[in-house]
Amino acid sequence: MSISRRTFLKTAGIAGGGLIIGVVLTRGDGPALPIKKINGALQANAFIQVTPDNVVRFYLPRDEMGQGAIMGLATLVAEELDVHPAQLDIEFAGVHPDYNNPDFGVQGTGGSTSIKAHYRPLREAAATVREVLLSAAAQDLGVARTDLSIADGHVVHSRESYPYGQFTATAATLELPETVALKPKAEFKYIGADIARVDALAKSTGTAVYGIDVDLPGMHYAVVQRCPVAGGTVKRVATQAALAMPGVTDVLQIENGVAVVAERYWQAHSAAKKLEVEWLLPELLSGVDTKTVEADYQQALISSKADESKAEGDLDAGFAAAVKTVQSEFWTPYLAHAPLEPMNAVVSIEDDHAEVWSGTQGPQITQGLVARYAGVPKENVRVHGVYLGGGFGRRGYVNYVAEATQVARAANKPIKLIWSREDDMRHGVYRPASLMQIKAGVSEDGKISAWHATRVGANLIGGTMNMALPGILPTAVPKGVTNFAASTVDSIMDGWAIDHVSVEGLEGDYDFDNMRVDHITKDHGVPTTYWRSVGHSFTAFAKETMIDELAQQAGVNEVEFRINNTQRSPRIQNVIRRAGAALAALGEVEGRSVGFAAHGSFNSYVAQAAEVSVSNGQIKVHRVVCVVDCGQVINPDIVKGQMEGAIMFGLTAALHGNVDIEKGAIKQSNFHDYPILRMDEAPVVDVIIIDSDEDPTGVGEPGLPPIAPAVANAVYKATGQRLRSLPLKLA
Amino acid sequence: MISFTLNGKTVQTDDSPDTPLLWVVRDTFGLKGSKFGCGAALCGACTMHIDGSAMRTCVMPVSAVAGKAITTIEGLGTPEKLHKLQAVWAEQGVPQCGYCQSGQIMSAAALLGNNPSPTEADVDQAMAGNICRCGCYPRIKKAILTVAAESSAPSAPEELAANSTAKIGEVVL
Ligand code: FES
Ligand code: FES
Repeated sequence: MSISRRTFLKTAGIAGGGLIIGVVLTRGDGPALPIKKINGALQANAFIQVTPDNVVRFYLPRDEMGQGAIMGLATLVAEELDVHPAQLDIEFAGVHPDYNNPDFGVQGTGGSTSIKAHYRPLREAAATVREVLLSAAAQDLGVARTDLSIADGHVVHSRESYPYGQFTATAATLELPETVALKPKAEFKYIGADIARVDALAKSTGTAVYGIDVDLPGMHYAVVQRCPVAGGTVKRVATQAALAMPGVTDVLQIENGVAVVAERYWQAHSAAKKLEVEWLLPELLSGVDTKTVEADYQQALISSKADESKAEGDLDAGFAAAVKTVQSEFWTPYLAHAPLEPMNAVVSIEDDHAEVWSGTQGPQITQGLVARYAGVPKENVRVHGVYLGGGFGRRGYVNYVAEATQVARAANKPIKLIWSREDDMRHGVYRPASLMQIKAGVSEDGKISAWHATRVGANLIGGTMNMALPGILPTAVPKGVTNFAASTVDSIMDGWAIDHVSVEGLEGDYDFDNMRVDHITKDHGVPTTYWRSVGHSFTAFAKETMIDELAQQAGVNEVEFRINNTQRSPRIQNVIRRAGAALAALGEVEGRSVGFAAHGSFNSYVAQAAEVSVSNGQIKVHRVVCVVDCGQVINPDIVKGQMEGAIMFGLTAALHGNVDIEKGAIKQSNFHDYPILRMDEAPVVDVIIIDSDEDPTGVGEPGLPPIAPAVANAVYKATGQRLRSLPLKLA
Repeated sequence: MISFTLNGKTVQTDDSPDTPLLWVVRDTFGLKGSKFGCGAALCGACTMHIDGSAMRTCVMPVSAVAGKAITTIEGLGTPEKLHKLQAVWAEQGVPQCGYCQSGQIMSAAALLGNNPSPTEADVDQAMAGNICRCGCYPRIKKAILTVAAESSAPSAPEELAANSTAKIGEVVL
């Protein structure tokens, strides 16, 4: 929330001694906040509630999917209020405009924005609470405001200290200050300190609650059979065999399949296997194989007109000035997110009200979809926060919520819908495949004189809008119209504007004086969405492999070459320099080669060196040195953990990750054919964090992009083979 | 009726005998700490101890555990009475999304029960059946080795938790 916004405190005298209920409304006519109503509490904004018994409650506006937003954002509040993060009573916020992501304008979590977007607003919100508590204390104690300070959840006056709760009733009657001062960095107590995550204990004892753990009275379980090809619908279904199975109460048709409802999960799971469904297959996609996609992309590079995303300088002159020119193509496949908690949702509909419990990166879209499919007003849908068993972009696309709501409505029962791992693998939304071509030249002085990059592939916006629009637009807008609008967004973009995330990362980091980045949109109808680090997850592989090739052509050490070509980008240059020094300090290990890569994404800068050995055609990554500049660090241990995690996630993609399409269906089904990196393959990771006074930027994603090219560049040193396709496979 | 011991208590269920133990424990007995990740013995999220051995319960029909002793993450330790692994897990900030961690801890407890001073290679081998999609492997490994190093007089982890009166912040030795 911003302090200057038109907020006001609505107070109401309650019988029995003038107790106050503070309720903040965004606007005079805005919806009430989905918060606990506590008599005598101070609720100066949507985020922080201080109760008379001195509970400082923080309504966490972002979703916690492992990235540590719960800890980072709690730390911001803790800092300005001087309450240890572990002492805060943290609740997941419901849906309300005040909880919108300032970077998105809607309520959603992603893009490594949580800390960046809230760094100042959340501190201002907490500082406002601090200031109004101090004013109330001055008034109640009859002392000068300037004689008061705060410490550990107390107002301090000379040698006496008083819990905040003592002043909440008075504070709730006061005007909020228009502006507040934030604590200077020199006085930070919690920001920048290594404090253990507040959710670690619950997550180490099996007591953290995820969507799949929620039970309701009378709840039944649903399992859905979907068309093997995305977008297919039911032509005919034989339900008798399923209906005859023990515990089964309903077999229902929903938009995209057939749902079996039973008293127990295993009953629903077993009965769903008995369904005999004939599908109406979508025309375009059911003719598609991975090979078709690759061939079409290759053909498009030759014969399709490209849309220009960015151009600078004079490309022809740049190539003319080059003493060496290199052209290469890079392939990166479709990928599944595969968070460890499969998709699930619990939905309950009663009269014109509905409630939903589900791990989601888009609670607002979730609310809208439940309203639409339950046929109730949006404001009557309560979205309950739960921990997410991984997100990585997958949980921004809440088709599982849409399904669960349809089933709950039709079966007229509270429903827990659980996807199997096979469902998750085969009916998800995917990181799009890409073919990238880069042609570049190096001049005599070792500078990149020309850079021309082209990406061929599908965009992300259309598929994502397909799910988001029905959730965001008023429920009165029919589904057909929202579908049309989503497809329109996609087709309007084609040939007219570039979906920037399709090419992000191909244009940056280096001093490209003469450059062009082009895009050729080719969409075969595979549902796609954001996947950890989005466009950077594939563009960095092409860019950083190419940079290595150029350094080699120029006959310059790869670290030197990068430093020489990043004169205009001091922050990326600095991480390259630091990683280069760390690399030199490591020394050479017999039988191992070190590859290097650097990439800026989500306003953070990361350089990595990967120590790799190759034997019997097997690539083994032993150690990764990772240098990150993410501005002011809120919690160094979480930054370190996110770098480690992103490296492991990126290594899964580098060494194993591949989703194949066969006649439009996804071939992979579980972790045997979509392997995830395991402990015996995990390298040692050394993380170096740059000390910085810049405002904080993202850490959930930026650790991922450099790892695949760093490993590929190491493999080149070890074997002389330039691997330009992911996953990396030696010839 | 199938009867077995769940965290020290005898329980009975009339769930159909082919129901995997995981779902019986989660839905019939309401212990949600053990997780469903793959349903195919590939990820380890559902790991429990059956007569002291770490087993994948998503593929274990409940009929197969009649008369056996089952320990889940809830039986290993609680927030008030932590198992040493859980204490170190929380202290060292091991979990990210946390979804795999019950299974990781159960596998780790079984490892230390059999081999109180594992080498790194022992840990790699024992833990290779547990996927962590968030990639917490370096921390999981470090936490296990920390507990191994600190446990000068190790004995079976389950007994430790059951006999301990340790509070949060203390550790069970
Ligand atoms: S859920 Fe049992 S091993 Fe994955
Ligand atoms: S912490 Fe998320 S899967 Fe392990």
